[in-house]
Amino acid sequence: MTGRLFRLAWRQMNVQLHVRIFNLYSLLLFFMQPAIFSCVGMILSKAAGQERPDLVYTVIGGGMLGMWSGLIFTSTFDINRDRRDGTLELIVASPTSLGVVEAIRTFTNVISGLVSMVAAFVVAILIFNYSLSDTNILGALVSLVVILFGMWAIGVFLANFLAWSRLSGSLVEFLEIPVALVCGFMYPIWILPDWMQAISKLVPIRWALEAFYAALLGEQDLGFLWKRWSAALLLSFIFWISARWLEGKVHDHIRVTGEMSSI
Amino acid sequence: MIRSIVRYLRLYIIQAWFAYRALFAWSTPFNYLVSKFGFTFFSMLLFVFIGKYVGLDNPVYIIIGNILIIPATNGVSGISMTVGNERRFGAMSYLLGSPAPRAPIFLGRGLFHILDSFVTVAVALPVAIWIFRLDTSDTNFFLVLLCVLITSFTTSGMGFVLGSVSLVSRDGWMITSTLSLSLFILVGANFPVDSLPAFLQPISYSLPMTRGIMAARAALDGAGWTSISSLVCVEILIGLVYITLGYIMFRLLERQSMVSGSLDNL
Repeated sequence: MTGRLFRLAWRQMNVQLHVRIFNLYSLLLFFMQPAIFSCVGMILSKAAGQERPDLVYTVIGGGMLGMWSGLIFTSTFDINRDRRDGTLELIVASPTSLGVVEAIRTFTNVISGLVSMVAAFVVAILIFNYSLSDTNILGALVSLVVILFGMWAIGVFLANFLAWSRLSGSLVEFLEIPVALVCGFMYPIWILPDWMQAISKLVPIRWALEAFYAALLGEQDLGFLWKRWSAALLLSFIFWISARWLEGKVHDHIRVTGEMSSI
Repeated sequence: MIRSIVRYLRLYIIQAWFAYRALFAWSTPFNYLVSKFGFTFFSMLLFVFIGKYVGLDNPVYIIIGNILIIPATNGVSGISMTVGNERRFGAMSYLLGSPAPRAPIFLGRGLFHILDSFVTVAVALPVAIWIFRLDTSDTNFFLVLLCVLITSFTTSGMGFVLGSVSLVSRDGWMITSTLSLSLFILVGANFPVDSLPAFLQPISYSLPMTRGIMAARAALDGAGWTSISSLVCVEILIGLVYITLGYIMFRLLERQSMVSGSLDNL
């Protein structure tokens, strides 16, 4: 059983990575869009009279945006592409559930999104001389893993909506910038009005991201980091459990109504 | 003569209407509104908060700039998709095989996108003025609307060029998206063009929208026609250059595809 699952995971990831690598749109999502948003941040910073941009929020925040955009678009495109190519019906009808397939695909998408973060660090270090000397590296790495888990949980949750209806595509894509906005991808969360901060408390990425940026800025207080990791993990599990529940509902719905290809 | 003109006009308007409807035919009103306003509105808020964090106290520049850049959604992405999708959905071969005149067919792709852009900005701008309590006591609204209309028209030129590019490249959408995003930096939507590095400023001034946005900002601040006329005239000129370039590219690609049969193979 475990062997079969690993074989499935390996083959699915292999195909998924090939699709990602040979799709030039990934270049836009992982590199171009984050670079453009970072450039806007840097030029605004210069226009405000600052000699040097804030590397953590402006440059590495751009990498975070790339990871998120990559995930949100690939998760939607994967199912829409299946629907367009006629393979969605085959996956739904196969003994392996759509949920398992989506979990593996989303995991691959999240991991491949790391390339955006790596690029942001390379730019920050090589071009802007960003120093890691004050960074809590272990804290940052743990936070990054928690962020990845949070993104994965949200990805598998949202994938259900795409399986339910192609019209959900716009709704899911619509979440790209709002989530970046309320989670403070490119600025500290305290900049936001209180009501936006309250909304962001429901998103696991917000907590893990707060810990990640704090660790990059040298936060050593384990209590501070633990609180945020715990909140992020708890919310991620809630998303994951909701995704499992939704999966059953959507699976039944599209089989009973036969609406999978028509809506 | 008159019959010929009527035929051209009919073809132009019918093509324009169907091309516009076809792009959004699959969509619900919600999807349509999201595609129109969603990315632009939330990007604007993101830039406002980035600006606030780096120390810019007044977000008005960013808000107005991001409203004035809305025509790029229709003018660049919409028109480019309309032209590029002809090939994707297999309609291009039939279109090229028909004896219909090319100019109304190609240029018709832009008409409703231009009108849509204009109406969108004309609605969004007063809303922003009302929400952010902007001082419009000196504003010349007629000139502002004229600048918005001209910018909507000139932006379509870039859409025609990119639409032609998408006929020869499967990755046309990626190129279009990248250039659309680059406009956030290049046309002075979020900061004055003078803030750009020196090597980017000539690129900025060679693009549609840059002068249109500058003129609209000046008109909002109360500038008269004499102050902005040179900006508006050069903006129109640049738009015409891009539209002509797009049309020439389309005709060249058409001719090339007739010889090589390569259009549907790419």
